[in-house]
Amino acid sequence: MSRLDFNCRHRFPSGFEVDLAFEATGLVTALFGPSGSGKTSVLGMIAGWLTPQFGRIRLGSRWLDDSPAGIHLPTERRQVGMVFQDHWLFPHMSVGDNLGYGQRRRGSGPPIRFDRVVEVLELEDLLSRYPGSLSGGERQRVALGRALLSNPELLLMDEPLAALDEALKLRILAYLERVVTEWNIPTLFVSHGQAEVRRFAQQVVVMERGRAVAEGTPEEALGQPTPLGWTNSAGPVNLLRIDGAMLRGDQWVGRLGGQEMKLPPVDGAPSHPLFVRFRPSDVTLSLEDVQGLSTRNHVLGVVSRMMELADGFFVAVDVGQILWAEVTPAAVRDLGLQPGSRVTCLIKTRSLEVVG
Amino acid sequence: MEFSAAEWSAIHNSLWVGLLVVLVSLPPGVCLGYVLARHRFPAKWLVEVAVNLALVVPPVVTGYLLLQVFKPAAPVGGFLSRALGLRVAFEFPGLVVAAAVMSFPLMVRAIRLGFQSVDPNLETAARTLGAGWWKTFFTVSLPLARNGVIAGCVLAYARSLGEFGATVMLASQREGNRTIPLLIYTLKDRPDGLASIWPLVAVSLLLAAGALVASEVLERRGLRHESA
Repeated sequence: MSRLDFNCRHRFPSGFEVDLAFEATGLVTALFGPSGSGKTSVLGMIAGWLTPQFGRIRLGSRWLDDSPAGIHLPTERRQVGMVFQDHWLFPHMSVGDNLGYGQRRRGSGPPIRFDRVVEVLELEDLLSRYPGSLSGGERQRVALGRALLSNPELLLMDEPLAALDEALKLRILAYLERVVTEWNIPTLFVSHGQAEVRRFAQQVVVMERGRAVAEGTPEEALGQPTPLGWTNSAGPVNLLRIDGAMLRGDQWVGRLGGQEMKLPPVDGAPSHPLFVRFRPSDVTLSLEDVQGLSTRNHVLGVVSRMMELADGFFVAVDVGQILWAEVTPAAVRDLGLQPGSRVTCLIKTRSLEVVG
Repeated sequence: MEFSAAEWSAIHNSLWVGLLVVLVSLPPGVCLGYVLARHRFPAKWLVEVAVNLALVVPPVVTGYLLLQVFKPAAPVGGFLSRALGLRVAFEFPGLVVAAAVMSFPLMVRAIRLGFQSVDPNLETAARTLGAGWWKTFFTVSLPLARNGVIAGCVLAYARSLGEFGATVMLASQREGNRTIPLLIYTLKDRPDGLASIWPLVAVSLLLAAGALVASEVLERRGLRHESA
């Protein structure tokens, strides 16, 4: 499998500087960070339309850029597929012609077949239509298919979900996952959405002001105390992986690490794994396990860190995965919460949303 | 409506001038329009001034300058005449050259606007799909700038039909080498001339309206898929 080695430095006329080095080792790597942190510039350097002042970029065994050696491959010879936030489908071509535009047979792996892409992305009914008549989600699927059919050695996605509403995001994310598992194409995607990064990526590079401030698995990288944009946005999102979901009696249950979670009804056959999503404000923390509550889920964990916000705290609880709870400063004081505290997280089944 | 031989010749000349001007100007017009829309370079302002000069200089002055370049005694005119047997001044090619020079700025302007309306990101998208410069230009940039190109052709054609000042200087007033405007100008001073001009006026109106209708049809055909 191709592996991406990136080491570039570029100063823009505005004075903004991107200085970043990372290695993408897993299948899906996320570049995460607030807008203006330089994520898209990094994609531009990899795709080749932005020439860094200093740059060494290696994809597999090929050098895309090696400024000391005077190498700079033009975009069209990089075999890097790109899915843009605004999809950039050719408006004067039908969906079928868009898909076929970059179709090529060369490349290291077996060629990606047109029919298969149409099948996996469910594009059959759209082939003769034009981009102007498609919905946002349909356009994004076509853009993904078009990039795939150019047989790329690396897929770049620039905020592929940002222009979509919440429900659509999850559906497109499911398509992305299908694509990645079906064709094993290394993917680098840029995002400022925590939920999608946690769900989709094996490796995360957190960027801020043109530099990497954290790197590692989603848990490691997103758990770092960085002055990230989310302190002034909606805050972290809980998206926890649930294994072995099954119907026991009339109650759906699943495993969160070694602990049991009671789930709301799951539609159809559960795909493995499931994810549950809920707001940090839906979590109640307790120092001891309280009996006789209607709240069904009591999850034991250890406080791993705490972030103070203007009007409260976000408390990260390690339950095998990181679970965020939002509590008031008074509660933190009264409970004496600090990293290392053992707590029980109480989560109503009704506040869980099953996704995937 | 019956046309005299002189009138037929003028209509014939006008149509051919319009057609040839569009055909001859289109390739350089597309190149220049694209370069001006997409590139920055040090002498860009100089190129723009040169292209647009014919818009602001009085046509008769332009015609005079063209005459100085293409008259048989001048180096360029002499060379064309000797080497290619092509006589420009006072002949049919002179009608075409004068109209082409006068209409070129209008054509470039429209085509440039056409290319400027194409989002450069679409060109980038084509490049990431493996298309080189030429493929990107002919499959993405040019088709999407199509309406600008059509508008440029219509403007150049219409301007050629109406061209008078530069043409009258370069092509002179020889029987059989007149366009519709030149013939109208000639007829007006003859006895009963004003009345005999009407058929030519009607033809002029028809040709101009026809160009507009054609461009409208072409643009709509292209837009069918892209709207919505």
